[in-house]
Amino acid sequence: MTSEAIRNEWYPVALASQLGPEGRDTRLLGEPIRVDWAAQGRPRVRAADGREMATRLRYGHIWACPGTPSRELFDIPEADQPGRRLVDVGVVRVKCSPLRAVENFLDIAHFPFVHTDILGAEPHTEVGKYDVAIREEVDEVWATKVHFYQPQAAKSAAGGITTEYMYRVPAPTVSILYKTCPPRPGEWDVITLFVQPLEENLCEVWPWMALFDDETPMTDLIHFQQTIFLQDRSILENQLPRLLPLDPGMEIPTRADLTSVAYRRWLKRRGYTYGAQLVAA
Amino acid sequence: MAAERFIIRGDLGAATFLPWVRRHMGKLGLTGELGQSGEALVELRVEGPPDLIDALEMGVSLGPIEAWVESIERAPLNSL
Repeated sequence: MTSEAIRNEWYPVALASQLGPEGRDTRLLGEPIRVDWAAQGRPRVRAADGREMATRLRYGHIWACPGTPSRELFDIPEADQPGRRLVDVGVVRVKCSPLRAVENFLDIAHFPFVHTDILGAEPHTEVGKYDVAIREEVDEVWATKVHFYQPQAAKSAAGGITTEYMYRVPAPTVSILYKTCPPRPGEWDVITLFVQPLEENLCEVWPWMALFDDETPMTDLIHFQQTIFLQDRSILENQLPRLLPLDPGMEIPTRADLTSVAYRRWLKRRGYTYGAQLVAA
Repeated sequence: MAAERFIIRGDLGAATFLPWVRRHMGKLGLTGELGQSGEALVELRVEGPPDLIDALEMGVSLGPIEAWVESIERAPLNSL
């Protein structure tokens, strides 16, 4: 039985555009659930005993809270900004802890080694100093002023540029990346990772994007993001320990890991342990 | 080499906390000693390469699962 701190969070459980009238049988926090459409196009999510969960339809996905929501679903104001293209990337199933999937998304240092010649390239491997904070007023993790050289930062980028990033964790299994938008200086492209925890060591990952890009065909945008995530999957599925340690364990975190450390501290403070390894001291 | 004093604040009453800090210092190859310690505050004096002292701060900020480190205040020391 999972704790209230875990059950009272929001989780993505389906991509609305791909949910047909037959519905979808899936799992959430180790329990079977059913996602379908009720009357008037209202999304419905039910536990195995028939109990209906709180649901939301937002950011192209259906969200469910198995307990009593501790707060409203987080806001992404850019989702309603005119001129952005909203991209449903689809789903990737990964045999890893849902928290590992989020942590990997927050890790910039792996770009040159895993996403070689796309999101990074040697010898540009150094991660400069950046700021990380748990913003108490919204209870979210934020990393800002992150700069990194990228050979091809986005599908719309013609060549290498130094990209600025911001990372945001508004819920334990959600990460949002804001990055320099080459065709629209002053704006940020938004790339999210919505993670559905099926089990403690199995998840489905739903990337979603809100971009200023009028030219790139939708299939290319989707393919670009899927390529990036499939490169991550092989790393994620071989990471040890499989669960995310909430203490440093055998690891020696360095400055480049500041965001990961803040994320783990935030999880620990919230008592969020689904997919976490609680190492005996 | 650098020498610093850490003032660690938080919920530090777990019996595992101080041994964990000593072990983590050893893992990083740092030397030093624990000063005054209580359930809410622990003082630590540490000596070693600056990058590894930074790594100690990051490790201790996570700490063992039984403890909660709220903040770490650092100040340079002339010598231990």
